[in-house]
Amino acid sequence: MTRTLTAALVAVAAAAALAGCTSSSGDTGGGGAGADELKAGVFLDVTSWDPANADIGFDGPYLSAVYDPLVALDKDAKPVPALATSWEWSADRLTLTMKLRDGVTFDDGQKFDATAAVANLQHLKSGVRSGQAYLNVASVGAKGADSVEIKLSKRDDALLYFMGLGRSWMVSPAAIQANSLAGGPAGSGPYTYDKAASQPQSQYVFTKKQNHWDSGTYPFPTVRLFPITDQTASFNAMLSGQLNVQFANAANKPKAQENGWNIAQKASSWVGVQFADRTGSQVKALGDQRVRQAIALAFDAAGILKAVGNDAGTVTDQLWPVHSQIYDKALSTKYQNDKAKAKQLLADAGYPNGFTVKMPMSPIFAAWQPAANQTFGELGIKVEWQDMAMPDYQKNAPTYPMFLAVIAMDGNDMATLTDQVTSAQWYNPNPSVDAFPEVKALVQQAERAEPGPAQSDLLKQLNTKLVDLAWWDVWYQADNIYFSVKGITVTPVTGMMFPTLRFIQRG
Amino acid sequence: MLTFIARRLVSGIVLLVVVTSATFFLAHLAVGDPTAGLLGNNATPAQQDALRAKIGYDDPLLTQFGSWFSHAVTGDFGTSWRNFQPVADQIALRVPVTLSVVVFATLLAAVLGLVVGVATGLRPGGLLDRGLKLASVVLFALPGFWVSLVLVTWFAIQLKWFPAIGYVSPDRSVGDWLRSITLPSVSLALGAIVMVAEQLRNGFLQVANQDFVRTLRARGLSHRRVTTHVLRNASPAALTVLALMFVGLLGGAIVVEIVFNLPGIGSLTQSASQIGDIPILLGLTAVTVVFVVIVNFLLDLVLGWVNPKVRER
Repeated sequence: MTRTLTAALVAVAAAAALAGCTSSSGDTGGGGAGADELKAGVFLDVTSWDPANADIGFDGPYLSAVYDPLVALDKDAKPVPALATSWEWSADRLTLTMKLRDGVTFDDGQKFDATAAVANLQHLKSGVRSGQAYLNVASVGAKGADSVEIKLSKRDDALLYFMGLGRSWMVSPAAIQANSLAGGPAGSGPYTYDKAASQPQSQYVFTKKQNHWDSGTYPFPTVRLFPITDQTASFNAMLSGQLNVQFANAANKPKAQENGWNIAQKASSWVGVQFADRTGSQVKALGDQRVRQAIALAFDAAGILKAVGNDAGTVTDQLWPVHSQIYDKALSTKYQNDKAKAKQLLADAGYPNGFTVKMPMSPIFAAWQPAANQTFGELGIKVEWQDMAMPDYQKNAPTYPMFLAVIAMDGNDMATLTDQVTSAQWYNPNPSVDAFPEVKALVQQAERAEPGPAQSDLLKQLNTKLVDLAWWDVWYQADNIYFSVKGITVTPVTGMMFPTLRFIQRG
Repeated sequence: MLTFIARRLVSGIVLLVVVTSATFFLAHLAVGDPTAGLLGNNATPAQQDALRAKIGYDDPLLTQFGSWFSHAVTGDFGTSWRNFQPVADQIALRVPVTLSVVVFATLLAAVLGLVVGVATGLRPGGLLDRGLKLASVVLFALPGFWVSLVLVTWFAIQLKWFPAIGYVSPDRSVGDWLRSITLPSVSLALGAIVMVAEQLRNGFLQVANQDFVRTLRARGLSHRRVTTHVLRNASPAALTVLALMFVGLLGGAIVVEIVFNLPGIGSLTQSASQIGDIPILLGLTAVTVVFVVIVNFLLDLVLGWVNPKVRER
């Protein structure tokens, strides 16, 4: 499952949990500052123990228990050393040389060295799910016994971020060769998977390795991870003391406060309408900037966030995360709900009576359909909804001129540019950058700029331009929320639907 | 008796073949190309082609069916399209969970339904009988998930007698296993108890007024022996209801599995349906049909024992 589908699932679960009922009382049980065990309720089960087939979404806590990454992220999503102790870019930023940690051994006795790292990187590059992060990697080679050299076909300033996000877990090369990872992990991570004590798909138990090179980062002697999709079941487990950390629902925040739990939240995905046909090749009206702006103005984003999103998020029209330096608070009122102005813009564009458009619909997006129906109806836009299952939605949505979207966001500014603007994805089937010369120029300048203030400044200009063009109709950025008992803190990271274990600490 | 058993076995095998075959074709028609759901949206066309070739999806449907069926009759249901682990292994992990809950719920329904049914049948119109009628209405009206949540709130969160979520295998601890299945089983059993009790009570009253019962009493048999005769004649309807409920609970346990986060076959069915993992769906169908056949077979045996006329049919 991709991060995007996961984001939609999370949003739907949050909406559905409004209907759930549960007791507000109960002690925090099993948690507390002295807890030896981390007992975390994760939204989804691990998709695969093979990092090449795993999702970034909710696999982070599982994989981070048993694998070490080459690159990790800090709380601001900045790449930091892990098994790669340092790295260096060539002047043209087309070659990345990484120095590797010495003295690391996989659980099966295989040594971690440059040969193992190369085998892993090649495996990840060819992976169905991980390969997306390595699209610009042309080759990988060992440079001596303790360094690897990654050569790029095109500059990629987001590569290290994606590696840190969950695309550089190192596994035993013997397991890659034997194709045995589907049966269980074979890593060098801070914990050992206790297969005997685990119940796959229900509970995964990990015990801490005392001699791990980064042992200090992982304070819990035992980690238990419970995949729990039902938000009410997860909250009940928190109340009963079976969990001390939970992927939570905003509807339960008052009860969490009553229980004295810690609450952490951060932007994770954007919700709104994706305009796939910005050039108007399918529906001429959508090629007119005023029509897209009219749609953006017509939606009561604050109302939708409150009613469907449990008020957990930020109303905005931008999709660089609210905490990003690219985000411009002043821009967020540009499309404040104004139906009269919306109708005027439609009339100015030559569509006073609206137009007809086909849009896909899947049960996963049904929570937003009434608001969409009402708003489009008020503008005279007649929507012919085409019902389909979620896998078909991902397959077919790109063929529609616009569609409702819940898209996972990234914590890295250049990754946002790549994932949301320039690269073709199912949720961004026609980047159409070439059709907008000003956008294209800013994109190219940002891609060529030196990382740092100059690049950020160009991205800010691009953000302003995209908002002005109503590139998307973002309603709000939805937060992911985590509850933890007193004595345990969770630090959310945009890009990770559930943070890796290094972000769950005592305190 | 041997002919009776043979007939039931043959009809069971026919049912198994028909249902799994129908499921195979219906699932393929409904799912379409499964590669998008299985690989995610970043997969390249080449990777999708490779997966289609690996799972034999490009072969004609009849060829696929022939291959699946020839393996299935030997007990080999293939591998999951999602993680390429044997279907049998994955189902074997899930079946004990669902079976534990459903069997325990059925036992509760049988025992408590029997006690309440006989008690109300002996004193129709009494306090217990009126209570049963009220309970029938209330328990049928209450949604299963709501009952489950109430049980969790009282017994897991407030009293902490039972866990709120999860399943513990009896291999690890029989006590913890019982604790982990008690609340889910009770929430499944509540409706079944009153249904079995109602059937038994009505059957009891009907039989108790028949001539042979009066004759038994006239011959001076004790109240207990008469009651035993009445019960034996009144039980077929209740037994049939119990068997039907067991089959229904097997398929209907999904709500309870979600509320209690139990890794049973209901939640596996749901996840396999979402991503179009047809081998898992077929394996689950086959297992469910086998259970249905076994339960019906046992029911026929019991009914045959209770009423010898059934064996002659």
